[in-house]
Amino acid sequence: MNINWYIVLSALLFTIGATGILVRRSPMVILLCLELMLNAGNLALVAFSREVGNQQGQVFALVVMVIAACEVVVGLGLIVAIFRRKLPLDVDDLRRLHG
Amino acid sequence: MSGAGFAAPHVDYAATAPIIALTVGLVVILMSGVFETTKRWAPGLAVMTLAATAGLLLWHWNDQIDLIAGALRVDNLAISISLIAIVSAFSTILLSIRERAAEEAGQGEYYALLIGSVLGMVLLSEAENLVTFFVAIETLSIPLYILCATNLRREGSLESGLKYLIVGSLGSATLLYGMAFIYGGTGSTDFAGIAHGIQANGMLHDPLILIGIALAAVGLAFKTSIAPFHQWTPDVYQGAPTPITNFMAVATKAAAFAVFVRFFVVALGPETGDWQLGLAILAAISIVVGNVGAIGQDSLKRLLGYSGVAQAGYMLGGIVVASEKGLSSLVFYLAAYLFMNLAAFAVIVARERETPYGDDIRGVRGLMAERPSLAWPLTISMLALAGLPATAGFIGKLYLIEALVEGSYTWLAVFIAVGTMISLAYYLRVVAAMWMGGEETAAGTSAAPGATPVISGASPEADPVDPEAGRRWYLLAPAVIAAGITVFLGVIPQPLVDFATHAGSSLF
Repeated sequence: MNINWYIVLSALLFTIGATGILVRRSPMVILLCLELMLNAGNLALVAFSREVGNQQGQVFALVVMVIAACEVVVGLGLIVAIFRRKLPLDVDDLRRLHG
Repeated sequence: MSGAGFAAPHVDYAATAPIIALTVGLVVILMSGVFETTKRWAPGLAVMTLAATAGLLLWHWNDQIDLIAGALRVDNLAISISLIAIVSAFSTILLSIRERAAEEAGQGEYYALLIGSVLGMVLLSEAENLVTFFVAIETLSIPLYILCATNLRREGSLESGLKYLIVGSLGSATLLYGMAFIYGGTGSTDFAGIAHGIQANGMLHDPLILIGIALAAVGLAFKTSIAPFHQWTPDVYQGAPTPITNFMAVATKAAAFAVFVRFFVVALGPETGDWQLGLAILAAISIVVGNVGAIGQDSLKRLLGYSGVAQAGYMLGGIVVASEKGLSSLVFYLAAYLFMNLAAFAVIVARERETPYGDDIRGVRGLMAERPSLAWPLTISMLALAGLPATAGFIGKLYLIEALVEGSYTWLAVFIAVGTMISLAYYLRVVAAMWMGGEETAAGTSAAPGATPVISGASPEADPVDPEAGRRWYLLAPAVIAAGITVFLGVIPQPLVDFATHAGSSLF
């Protein structure tokens, strides 16, 4: 089976995610883009798993899903804490630490 | 689906005991936070967990065991790095006594997260498979994202938590994508299997493996704060509660370097010559960027953040040469770095609570006259970080340079020497502020007279001032003992050299 298209798609997803992190300013969208990058990794893992013919990649992808969920939980928690402090929800304005 | 082809791997419970102890401790500490009466036991329980783990790790000293179908490996490298992380966590517990962040977050949660991060570090130093590698690096990082933000009332703390989360996850995602390609190129997630696959295909001829290694190296560079992937370091170090900065600076670096060296030496061992130069260039950039960035920083935590970038560059030199001596010098430097940093951070915590200046350099001005018992540890720490003789920092640098010259990377050794010279500019500035008092006022950086002394991460309106903080045993003891050990190892380095040599021999 030819897996090239899966790899191309995953590379596209990864690039979209990375670009999103660089250009978007809302922490929520940045979290979404991080998810996109992790899922690009998952897609590549599953595709490669099919190509090399063992299950290690599929197991890895399952584990990554759990970890991605953990990261989102922590990220949303932080965003809620920032929102409650009435700080700007904009990564360009969060620049108290700078220099 | 049927159980026919699947046999559960054999689990050596004796060798996994340290990990089990940490996990049990984590759950117990978290539960202790639930009840009002048991809440205050949390720090004590955390210390007990760490002590038990350290004991169980030492029990396996000189063993070489592959665990759970080769997912983890217990050897002297893993044990020594785990011990460094445990000592660092122990000192963090001491520095966290009466820390605002610990009370804000809840004692149980704060210490449980700390133990969770240590668990990730122990796993990471033992990881011998891409899956455990990734799980461990996230187990280490996710609690740290939260710990950075625990001082909820301080804007800087929340900001540093969010920044660390975004940059850390970006690093993890890059690492994961790299791992996927390495798996695709070699057909294995096991370090030994990857080495086998690389040997069969040749690294330079397989674009999949090449892309994978480059992305994985970038991800690891994010985690170890190696330039040009270091931008988060000063911000996060400054914004996080100082005890947590102390923990992050040393323990995270130690664990990430452990897996860095294991991955590059074991999995990519067959093609050593091809990756050495790339890492050497990263190390050189790190040394320059870190040392130049630290000049002119007024926040001590920021200064130590940039200094950490430079130190990461020095330590990467130990990996570049891929020799037993290089690895020993890396472990030696990490252990020395633990004590040098601890002495500095204990003093910064004390001054943050004593003065309204937070971690600004003005907080330590005239410290020698006011509190010699704090000024001496900070002086020793600064001189050791700069690598002056009769301190552990000097022996560590000497050892690294020796390893580099033997591995015919003399030009990188020259970078270390030049970096050390530049670093004197900012380390001595701190020493001068302490010993000479008001000298810096004239230079008056950003302090207009009468301006509110809120410059750096710590804001005085939120932090209660404890004028006696510098005399409290839990701050004074770590500072004095760490400074004492730094000098002791500078004069009699043999015990630590033996320790590091044992660790170094486990991979070669």
